[in-house]
Amino acid sequence: MSGRPGCPGVALAVMATLMAAVIGLQAVHERGGGPPASDAPEFLYVRSPEAMRRLALSYQSLVADLYWIRAVQHYGGTRLSANPDKRYELLYPLLDLTTTLEPRFNVAYLFGSLFLAESPPGGPGRPDLAIALLDRGLRAQPSKWEFAQAIGFVHYWWRHDYEQAAEWFTRAAKFPNAPFWLTTLAATTLAEGGSRGSSRILWEQFARSAETEALRNEAVRRLQQLDAMDQMDRLRQMVDAYRQRGGALPSGWIDLVRAGYLRALPADPAGTPYVLQDGAVMLGRGSRLFPLPIEPQRLVH
Amino acid sequence: MAAIRTEALTKHYRVGFWRPRPYVALEGLTLSVSEGEVFGCLGPNGAGKTTTLKLLMQLIYPTSGSAEILGQPVGDVRMKRRIGYLPENPYFYDYLTAEELLQYFAGLFGYAPAERRRRAAALLDQVGIGAERRMQLRTFSKGMLQRVGIAQALINDPEVVFFDEPMSGLDPLGRREIRQVILQLRERGCTVFFSSHVLSDAEALCSRVAILASGRLAGVGRLTDLVAFQARGWELVVGGLDDAALAHAKMTQLVVRDTPLGDRRYALEVPLSVSPERAIAELTGRGASLVSINPLRETLEDYFVRQVAAAPHERGLGTGT
Amino acid sequence: MRVIGHVAVNVFKESVRDKVLYSLVAFAALLIGVAYLIGQLTAGQDVKIIKDLGLAAIATFGLLIAVFIGIGLVWKEVDRRSIYSLLSKPIRRHEFILGKYAGLSLTLIVNVAIMTLAFYAVLAYMNTQFSEASRSVWPAPATDPGMLRAIGLIVVELLLVTAIALFFSTFSSPLLSAGLTFGLWVIGHFNADLRNFEAVVESKTAAYLARGLYYVLPNFAAFDIKTQVVNALPVAPSYLAATTAYGLVYISFLLVGAVVIFSRRDFK
Repeated sequence: MSGRPGCPGVALAVMATLMAAVIGLQAVHERGGGPPASDAPEFLYVRSPEAMRRLALSYQSLVADLYWIRAVQHYGGTRLSANPDKRYELLYPLLDLTTTLEPRFNVAYLFGSLFLAESPPGGPGRPDLAIALLDRGLRAQPSKWEFAQAIGFVHYWWRHDYEQAAEWFTRAAKFPNAPFWLTTLAATTLAEGGSRGSSRILWEQFARSAETEALRNEAVRRLQQLDAMDQMDRLRQMVDAYRQRGGALPSGWIDLVRAGYLRALPADPAGTPYVLQDGAVMLGRGSRLFPLPIEPQRLVH
Repeated sequence: MAAIRTEALTKHYRVGFWRPRPYVALEGLTLSVSEGEVFGCLGPNGAGKTTTLKLLMQLIYPTSGSAEILGQPVGDVRMKRRIGYLPENPYFYDYLTAEELLQYFAGLFGYAPAERRRRAAALLDQVGIGAERRMQLRTFSKGMLQRVGIAQALINDPEVVFFDEPMSGLDPLGRREIRQVILQLRERGCTVFFSSHVLSDAEALCSRVAILASGRLAGVGRLTDLVAFQARGWELVVGGLDDAALAHAKMTQLVVRDTPLGDRRYALEVPLSVSPERAIAELTGRGASLVSINPLRETLEDYFVRQVAAAPHERGLGTGT
Repeated sequence: MRVIGHVAVNVFKESVRDKVLYSLVAFAALLIGVAYLIGQLTAGQDVKIIKDLGLAAIATFGLLIAVFIGIGLVWKEVDRRSIYSLLSKPIRRHEFILGKYAGLSLTLIVNVAIMTLAFYAVLAYMNTQFSEASRSVWPAPATDPGMLRAIGLIVVELLLVTAIALFFSTFSSPLLSAGLTFGLWVIGHFNADLRNFEAVVESKTAAYLARGLYYVLPNFAAFDIKTQVVNALPVAPSYLAATTAYGLVYISFLLVGAVVIFSRRDFK
């Protein structure tokens, strides 16, 4: 019996039981909704990028990475929060810190501008800040045509300012290494800015040139939204035709199927069924494509 | 009943991080120490003395084999109430005083506070640091810590005490005092098991010794019975020996080695084959006078050197003899 | 039990003698005092700022004491070999570990108590500096006993940190233990982010991993109700009870682990 204490089946069992209790209590804690709510807002300790650049010593890239992660978390967290009054207050300061600490953080500029420009509740709806961020990226790396294209894009998509957009696309086209299609894009934008067709070209190019999987996914999602808008137009025509023929609004898609307009329940490109309510065709609230962008207005010449 | 008994006690360590190899710290040690014995565990550094003591204190666990003290397996808490242990180069808590340390340890035995104070004071006086009892231990020298270590080993009037290198770090006076302590323990009937690499300690104190070399038991028994330590000749110191007489003695193999000590005095080595009486008669017959005669024995140090040279250098498994 | 208590008292005695501890407590008390000066700089919010700073100081210095003494407790005994003579005495290894833990817990509780007294003393003084009218707009009185709830949870949190430090120090060096303990503490405060991780990542594996860690790693964020008590927001007694139970169960888990590892160790 002078040997080492035999491995402790009993001790391991006790430890397993205790760990189970820990997990159980954690689950209880989670069901209780975490710590009692405090109205303390999320806090950014150092707001001055310049000060942070000094504080970060030789770890600027690393600190920039951390701020970038925080920015993504902040955006994602706020977007998902149940709070009806969503304000992405820290988004721009965090992106500002990230890009000041590492001026060549391309993803932060491109993605950051997408976050900033997105309209509420999916984002703060600040195309002005998105353009400011990209502008700084362009100053840090004057040869990146992607930034110029992205600025044009913000003008096009969020501000519906097609002249500015065309101007930026033209400018981007003049960069060395710029792809040939930018010239086409600029021309199309000027000629028929705001049409779904030109939007489609824009997003297709975006998907083609995207550097990251996530950017490409975003472009695909936008293209699916455009498809959804086309489909919804067709569905609205069907609803109109049904009403004109039968004199009453359809109570649901099933009426349209029975009347032979549809073969099955219509679903959007992301797979969520469309909603038909009081004769209005809408995107399902649970769809990945929700909300649809505001239909760009045709540029009036 | 044996006070200490080990049965094929073995400890292998794994050394090396990337490719761990077993290292044999102790291999198959079987020993038995009777009650009341003063037993010396001798060997050069790295022979396995400290490993043996740590196994007996269950500071480390054996790879195989077993050990018991006072008929109980090592690690038994009731048995530990009856033993004492001085580790090698003992070290204690910086911020406690010598007195507090002893009282703390006495408390682990469950003595009442008054009894703790009495024992602490008596023991500190006994090991000669009564005057420094209120000093924090971080101010103590190595020798003073050694004395504190001996005092703490005796705090419970143990029946068996284990001392790992009790003499190290002490000056000659200190060594003599510790010898006195061990002799007192022997008189009281206490079993003492101590390790040392100094032969004279063992010669003066031990009834029996075990000799370890390279983790293996090289011999056990009374020091004088161990073959290695039997006389291999005689040393004669003589005066008034002239060159002709010396040459003759060497020629007739009466003397195998001579060392001049100056002024016609010589230390002469007489082999075991020549009787010392004949040698003395021959030399004094040629005008020399006898100063002294001593048996020549191998010292423990010689023995260690021989053992270490003979032992395999790589102490891995399978390379042993 | 007697042996555990005896070891614990010795740990307490030794750590009280250790001057590092004095300086930490003194520094914390000083910081609470400095809160008064900082309070002078900002109009109107003085008492709130002192409360925030005071509670933060208690938590932070408690953390430093817990980690730096906790990691050294066992390691120092092994490194300096004082454990050799100790373990030859009639003491079992688990009694040693539990005694060490109890001793450090005692030290921590006494330290937090001292800091709390200093904290309330400063607040009581501040209270005399304001008129009845300005006091009436505060969400809570200056010496609001409700803050003791936050301090209570801080104590449980510190006991958990100590158990983590002790656990690591049974098998690794102090530097590594300190790193691991601080690391767990930091991660434990970002615990809620782990739960929300699946909302921001695409990968299912990463989401499951994050969720697993969320359940297994100590949730330190749960112990932090400083903001709530300073703003006199309600904290349910059931929340306090559940969080305390969580802490105690987690501590038991770590102590059993520490005992298992320590009991099997060789002291070379």
